[in-house]
This record gives sequence, C-alpha cells and structure tokens, in this order.
Amino acid sequence: MSALVRAELIKIRTTRGWWAYLVVLVLLTGIAVAGEVGSAERAQRSTADFQLGLVETIGVAVLLAIILGITIITTEFRHGTVTPTFLATPHREQVIAAKAIAAVVVAIGFALLSLLVVLAVALPWFAIVGAEWNLGGGDAATRVAEQLLATVLWALMGIAVGALVQSQVAALVGTLIWIFVGEALLLGFFGLLNLDGARGYLPFQALDGADGTGGGELLSYWPAVAASLAWIAVIGAAGTERTRRRDIT
Amino acid sequence: MIEVEGLSKRFGKTQAVAGLSFRVEPGTITGFLGPNGAGKSTTLRSILGLVHPDAGSATVLGVPYRQLDRPLHRVGAVLEASEVHPGRSGRNHLRVQAAAAGLPASRVAEVLALVELSAAAKRRVKGYSLGMRQRLGLATALLGNPDVLVLDEPANGLDPAGIRWLRDLLRSLAAEGRTILVSSHVLSEVAQTVDRVVIIHRGALVQQASIADVLAGTQGATRVRTPDARLHELLAGQGAAVTTLEDGALAVDLPPEKVGEVAAANGIVLHELTIERATLEEVFLELTGGETTQ
Repeated sequence: MSALVRAELIKIRTTRGWWAYLVVLVLLTGIAVAGEVGSAERAQRSTADFQLGLVETIGVAVLLAIILGITIITTEFRHGTVTPTFLATPHREQVIAAKAIAAVVVAIGFALLSLLVVLAVALPWFAIVGAEWNLGGGDAATRVAEQLLATVLWALMGIAVGALVQSQVAALVGTLIWIFVGEALLLGFFGLLNLDGARGYLPFQALDGADGTGGGELLSYWPAVAASLAWIAVIGAAGTERTRRRDIT
Repeated sequence: MIEVEGLSKRFGKTQAVAGLSFRVEPGTITGFLGPNGAGKSTTLRSILGLVHPDAGSATVLGVPYRQLDRPLHRVGAVLEASEVHPGRSGRNHLRVQAAAAGLPASRVAEVLALVELSAAAKRRVKGYSLGMRQRLGLATALLGNPDVLVLDEPANGLDPAGIRWLRDLLRSLAAEGRTILVSSHVLSEVAQTVDRVVIIHRGALVQQASIADVLAGTQGATRVRTPDARLHELLAGQGAAVTTLEDGALAVDLPPEKVGEVAAANGIVLHELTIERATLEEVFLELTGGETTQ
C-alpha cells in the first residue's frame, strides 16, 4: 500500500495543477487574514477571540481539500490514465484507498501551509502595530487540530464523491450546486416540515459543524464529525462499488 | 499463456465480442487481426481485467489478470497512446507506474533508452507526436520486464520508419522468449513479424493458424505475359477465367503447367510465367467478408 500511496503522491506533484493549488491556497489565506487584521480595531486585535478567528482562516484549506479529492480520482477518467493505473493495480479498491491516504496527507499539508501564511502575515503585522498575542497555546492548538481534522474530512468527501461521479465537470459543478442550491433547498424544506433537528445531518452541514467553529443550527462538534464520517463512508462505499464494476474502455 | 474461452461482451445494443475462443502459445508473436470494430480492443481489455465479460473467461499465465501477483512484472500492455496525462512528462508518467509496481526508479531511464525517448523524457506529453506516445506506451509496458506483452494497434500513428523500428523491437523482444499478442487492422503491418494469427470479425473467430498456413491456404493466380494475342482466347477456350492486367499481362486461374502446355502446343512465345500469390491483405479481406479495413 505504501508503494501505491507514493505513486499517488507523485501523480499529484507532477502536474501544473499542483502549483495552482499552492498559489491559490497562499493567496486565499493571505487575503483573508490581511482583511481581518486590517479591518480590526486597534484594541480588538489583542483579544484572544479575535486571534482565534485568525487561526480559523486556515479553514479556506477545506475548499482546496475537497477539490483535490474530487480531482485526483476524476482526472484519471478524464485523461484515460485510469487504464495504466488499473493495469498496475487491478484491485481497484486499493487504488481508491491509496488515493484517500494521499489526499489526507496533502490536505494536512494544505492546512499547515495555510497556518504558516496566517502566522507570516499576522505576527509581523502585530509587531509593527504593537498588538499583543494573547491567544493561549492550548486553545490555539485545539482549534488547529480541529481544522486539520475538518480538512481531512473534506478531502475524504472529495474522494468519495469523485469515486461515485467519475466525471470531473459533473463532480465539481455538481458538488457546488449541491452545497449552494440542493442543501439550501433541503434546509428550507426541513424547516417547513418542522424537522429543524435534521438539518445539521445534511452532508455539508455536518462537515461545516466538524471544524469546531460552531454555528446556530449545526450539530455540536463530535456528532458533526460522526455524521460527516457516516456520509463519507456511505458515498465512498457506493463510489468504490461503482468503480469496481465499471468497464474501462 | 493467454487463453480466451467463450468470451462475450455487449455494450448497449452492440455485441462487441460473441463467444470468442483462442489461445496464444508461449514464446510466439501472435497477430490479433480484424477490421476496426471487430472487437479486438474489447477482447484485449477483457484479458487485462479492465472490462468485465458478460460470459466466458480470459486468463493470462493460467489465471485471470486480477489474480496475478505483481501484474506489471508479468504482463506489459499498450492500449491507447492517449492514456497519459498531457501535463505530465514522459519520465514522470513512468515514475508513477514504476512506483505503483514497486519497481526501482532506475528502470525508468532504462526503458526510456530502450524506446529511444530519453531526449524527450522531461518534456510534457502534450507536446509529443503520436509516434512518441506509442514509444512511451511501449516503455510503460516494458517497465516490469514482463514475459507477456499485449499491444493494441501499436503501429497506429507511426511513420514507415517508426513501423520498421517497432517491427525490429518486437522481433528482438520475441527473440528473448517473450510471448507477444499484437493487434492490428492492417495485416501488412504485422505480417512480417508474427508467427501466428488470430483473425476475428464481428466479435467471433474467423481463423486461428500459423501465418504460413494462412498463406498456403490461399489460391494464387497464374500470371502470364506474351506478345501473341491468341493466348487469351485459347486459354478461355479451356474454360479458364482470363483477365488482362494493367500492364498487358494475363491473370489466369489455371496452374502454370497447364498454361505452359497450351502455349507450347500452339507455338506461342511467353515472356513471363509466374504464380502470383494473393497478398496477405487480400486474404484478410476475403476472410473478414471483404469489408474495408479502414
């Protein structure tokens, strides 16, 4: 399995898309954190709450993680490279498992890179304007760990969706439409049926709840993580079965 | 070595393969021939575990491909030249396959040299010609130094020099004792290379034989050239079908002995008297129902 994961990591690093991920991640995080620090009141900057919010900007990594997860499966079907991949590894579920592990590794890397950008922007800025760093190390570490787990969950959701849908455009566009239209409609629908308690169990509501930042109608942290894992398992199992059965022509 | 038994596969309304059975003997180069759409690719993909047959079975080295331990060490395959990520370099494509197969990275440089692609190894595949992609495909197939090679239309897109290069490479690979199954819809591409042929049409077997048997089984015409116009009528008088060829010679469906006798009996001077074998292409057309091979 380690050989397969290594092969997947080489695949990720040997196309230009890789550099696009890193550039977009650095820019998104940098702009977000600069916006927050720049627009904050002088006194506010030194509060632990504000600084916790800065750490949370590494949440932008979840977007890149799900795109990466979807892409590393669907790109194989798009370019036909799935043929040599399955010739090397005819047990297709092993390929999906290796891709999932590779996606987790890279997603953690994304979140850590994002954290570096936060620190690289915020710390010098704080030094210049004379703000104090008051966020406790323990609180910061907890939030970073939660964000790392969230990034991993989004990456795994991407793998599950990619394995099930297989068409790159349909998977990427379909996921966006699902998040912003499908789930939004369901949220309203559940509201009409007085099923407000069910809202938090929708896949991306669960994922949203699993980053530890909380929110009005979301599940609390661990139930959100569990619900996310359940969705990933269901969609991933269906995707693996579809991939196993598919004729590669 | 490769055994296909009662293989059938339908895609929607198209019966791609219909009860096909054949064997590829160890240590031979076998040409897998048929017009486009005959079911060659579907058959090869079934052998390689990429397509799930509706019925029948295909085994390589005695087991289904999926049950092979370390398959790239046993079987190398080239299916379509386009199955490489266009943004990846040829070298990186091979590095991926080598890693997945647990092969040392040093094999990458070796196979690149073998297919004479070292100079372009670091360029992105997007800029490769079709011929270069075919070479990259062959390099991929050879990574694990396998005993069995399965090649689907490897000559597609190669110029005449490339086809000669491919022929020489296949011969040297076969000389090392490998078993090669190579498909083509143009018989002349592989006629000089293969030992045996499996000819299919509409998903079913037409003929499985040695290339020599295929040739021997074909009826040749007798070609005769003479300045004497009487011969045409005399031969026709013997009940033979006589046609005048473009260069003025006659093609006769009688053995040359008989033609010579008729000429001698009538004092006719002959300038040429030969047997003209049907070309392999004609044999192929005849066996596959005269449909175009293009």
